[in-house]
Amino acid sequence: MVTAFDYVPAIVLLPFVSFVVALFVGKNMPKKGAYGGIAATAGSLLLSIWVLLSVRGGGAHQETYWTWAQGVGSQPFRLEFGALIDPLSALMLVIVTLIATLVHVFSLGYMNDEGERDLPRYYAGLGLFTASMLGFVIADNLLMAFMFFELVGLCSFLLIGFHFREPGPPSAAKKAFLVTRFGDYFFLVGVVAVFATFGTAAFAGAESFPALAEGALNGNVDVWTPGGLDTMTWFTVVGLLVLGGVVGKSAQFPLHTWLPDAMEGPTPVSALIHAATMVAAGVYLVARMYGFYVLTPTTMGVIALVGGFTALFAGTMGLVKEELKQVLAYSTISQYGYMMLGLGAGGYVAAVFHLTTHAFFKALLFLGAGSVIIAMHHNENMWDMGGLKDEMPVTYWTFLAGSLALAGIFPFAGFWSKDEILYEALIHGGSEPLLFAGYAMGLLAVPVTAFYTFRMVFLTFHGNARSEIARNPEPVRWNVKGPLSVLGVLAAVTGVINMVPVQKVLGIEGIDYLHLWLDNHWGGIEGLSSHHYAEIGPYSSTYPFGTEVATVLAGAAISLGLALAGLGLAWKLYNVAEPVEHTAKLGGAKELLYNNYYQDEFQVWLANRTRGLSGSADTFDQGVVDGVVNGVSSVSLLSGDRIKRIQTGVVGNYALLLTLSLTALLVVFALIGGWF
Amino acid sequence: MVPPEYYLLLSSGLFCIGLFGILTRRNALYFLMSVELMLNAANINLVAFSLYWGNLTGQTFALFAIALAAAEVAVGIGIILALYRNFGDVDVMAAATMRW
Repeated sequence: MVTAFDYVPAIVLLPFVSFVVALFVGKNMPKKGAYGGIAATAGSLLLSIWVLLSVRGGGAHQETYWTWAQGVGSQPFRLEFGALIDPLSALMLVIVTLIATLVHVFSLGYMNDEGERDLPRYYAGLGLFTASMLGFVIADNLLMAFMFFELVGLCSFLLIGFHFREPGPPSAAKKAFLVTRFGDYFFLVGVVAVFATFGTAAFAGAESFPALAEGALNGNVDVWTPGGLDTMTWFTVVGLLVLGGVVGKSAQFPLHTWLPDAMEGPTPVSALIHAATMVAAGVYLVARMYGFYVLTPTTMGVIALVGGFTALFAGTMGLVKEELKQVLAYSTISQYGYMMLGLGAGGYVAAVFHLTTHAFFKALLFLGAGSVIIAMHHNENMWDMGGLKDEMPVTYWTFLAGSLALAGIFPFAGFWSKDEILYEALIHGGSEPLLFAGYAMGLLAVPVTAFYTFRMVFLTFHGNARSEIARNPEPVRWNVKGPLSVLGVLAAVTGVINMVPVQKVLGIEGIDYLHLWLDNHWGGIEGLSSHHYAEIGPYSSTYPFGTEVATVLAGAAISLGLALAGLGLAWKLYNVAEPVEHTAKLGGAKELLYNNYYQDEFQVWLANRTRGLSGSADTFDQGVVDGVVNGVSSVSLLSGDRIKRIQTGVVGNYALLLTLSLTALLVVFALIGGWF
Repeated sequence: MVPPEYYLLLSSGLFCIGLFGILTRRNALYFLMSVELMLNAANINLVAFSLYWGNLTGQTFALFAIALAAAEVAVGIGIILALYRNFGDVDVMAAATMRW
C-alpha cells in the first residue's frame, strides 16, 4: 500500500528539481523559473501536509535510503542517508515548505515586478536552499544533518551575495559564510566525536547515540571516551562541540555578527533565512538531538544562559537602528535566543512552539518589510517613511498582527509561545543559577522587544509622511498581499495549537495540542517524546508563586505587563505626527548600541591578533602539506623523464630487455624457490 | 627409448640459437627465422613430453603452434614489406622513429 512516507524523498527532491530547472532552462521559462519554484514548493507542501496527517493518524517512519560507506570489523561504522519522520520533523516540514511557497509567490512581486536581472540564478538559489533545509529536517543521523547543514550555509552565501555587482552583498555573504563556518568547525569535530564514542550517529532507535548515551550514564553501556575521561564530562564536551554549529547558524552570541549584515540579501531571502531555513536549522538541531542534551545539565545551563543573554543583548541593539530590516534582524537574533533559553530550560515543547510561531510572524514581518521597501523604492530608512498605514492598509494590518505577535501581546501567537518559554525557565530555574540568570535576561528582553517592535511600526506606518516617496508610495500587487494575508492570519491565531495556560487555569483538558503532538500522543518514535525528555532531564519544578495556577497567571501577567510597558513607551515617544529621535537621552550608551557593542571591531581585532597563528598554519599548509604533494609529483616527473630513455624505438633493444628481465626473473624464482 | 634429457638439450640449444639470432641480426628476415626456431624449440618440448606422458594433448598443441607460426609468418612478412616500403630497407635498426 502506498503511504505518505513513500513520498518523503519527493519532498526534498521537488525543490531540487526546481533548482536544476531554473538553473539550466530558467531563462526561457515564463517568469524566469518562478512558476517552477512555486509548483515545486507547493507540491512539497501538499506532501508534507499528507505526511503530517499520517503522523496524526498514528504513523512514524524511519528508513535508510543509501549506505554510502561501511567500515569493516565487528561493529563497523555505517554512513547513511535516511529519513526520520516523527512529530517534530513532520511539523517542521510543513513550516519550511509553507514559508518557502509563500516566499516564492512573494518573490514574483519583489523580484520579477521590480525588474531585477539574473532571476534564474535567484530562483535556483531559492530551490536549492529549500531542498537543503528539507533534507536537513528529515535527516535521521548526525552526519547527514551536518552535510545538509553545510549546504544550507552554502545557499545562504549564494543568496545573500545575490547582488554581487554592488560592494556590500558579496562582503556580507563572505562574512555569513565564514562566521557560520567557524561554528561548523566545532560541529564537525563533534560529529567525529559522536562516531568515535558511540559508533553511530543515528537520532532514533535503541542503537541511536542519545539512547546509548543514556545507557552509558546509567552504567548499562560501555562507550569509548578519550583517556578514560568521565562519561558525563565527555558528553558535555561533545554536546558543546555540536552546539558550536548551532550557535553559528542560529546567530547566538558571540557568533551572531553575520546575521545583521545578511540583510544585504534580497528581502524574501531574508524572510526564508530567518523564518524557516538557515537560522531555524540551529535550534532544530538541538531539538532533534534533545535526548542527548538533556543528559548533561552543564550543557543545558550553557544553552539557557547563551539564549537568555542573546535575547537581551540583541534586543538592546535593535533599539536604535534606523533601517527597517536591521530592526528585524536583531529581533530574529533575540527571538532565537528565546528558543535556546526554552531548550536549555527543559521546555522542549515551548521552544518548538516558539519556533513555529516565530516562523510565521517573522516571515510575515520580513515580507511586510519587503512590501514597504517596494513601496519606498528600496529606501529602507524608517526616518524617511511615516504615514504609510493609509496608503497600504493590507501591509499595515498584517504587519501589525506580526508585530503584536513579536512583542508578545495577548492573544497573538507570540504571546503564548514566549510566555511558555519564560514559564518553563521560571519553574525550572529555582535551583539552577545559570537557568535563573537566563530567565531574568529573557524577562528583561520582553519590554525591549515590545519597544523596538512598536518603534518600528509607528515610525513606518504612523505619523505624517516624512518624504516625497512616502506620500506617494508605489502600489503592491496580489502576489505581495496574498502571502501577507495568509501569514497575518497565522500570526494571529497560531497560539491555539498550544493553549497550556488556558488549560491549567480553566482546567479544560486536551487543548494543549502541541504538547500531545510532541509527546507521541497520536504517533511517533519510541524515545523521542517530550515525556521521555522530561524524565531523563535534570530539572525539577518549583512554583515560586505557590500553586501551579498562580505561577502560570503571575508569569503571564508579568511578561504581558512588561510587554505592554514597552509598547506604551514606544507609543508615547513615537506615535506622534512628527516623531523625533530620542536616542540622545541614552548618552554614551547610544554610540555603544549604534556600533553593536563594537562586536565587529572586536572580531576584527581578534582576527588580527591571531594572524600569527593563521600565518604559521598557512606556512605549514603551503610548505609541508603542499610540499609533500608537490614533491611526489616532481619525483614522478623527474624519474619518468629519465626512465623514458629506455624506450629507444629499436626492436633489438626491446628483445634484449625482455630476455634479460626473463633471466632475472628466473634467477629470482630460483633463489626464492631454493633450486641452487 | 631416447631419454628426455636429450630432447630438452636439443630444444634449449635450438631456443638459444633463435635468441642469439634475434639479439645479433639486423635483417628483419633473419629475425623472423629466429622466431621460428624459438617456436619450434617449444614444439619439441611439447612433443617430447607428450610422448613420455602417453597423452596426445601435447602433440595436438604442437600442431596448433605450427599453425600459429604460419599465421605469424604471414603477418611478419607483411610487416617486413611495410618496413621496406617506408624505410627502403629491411634493417630493424632503421625503424626507430617510435621512441620518446
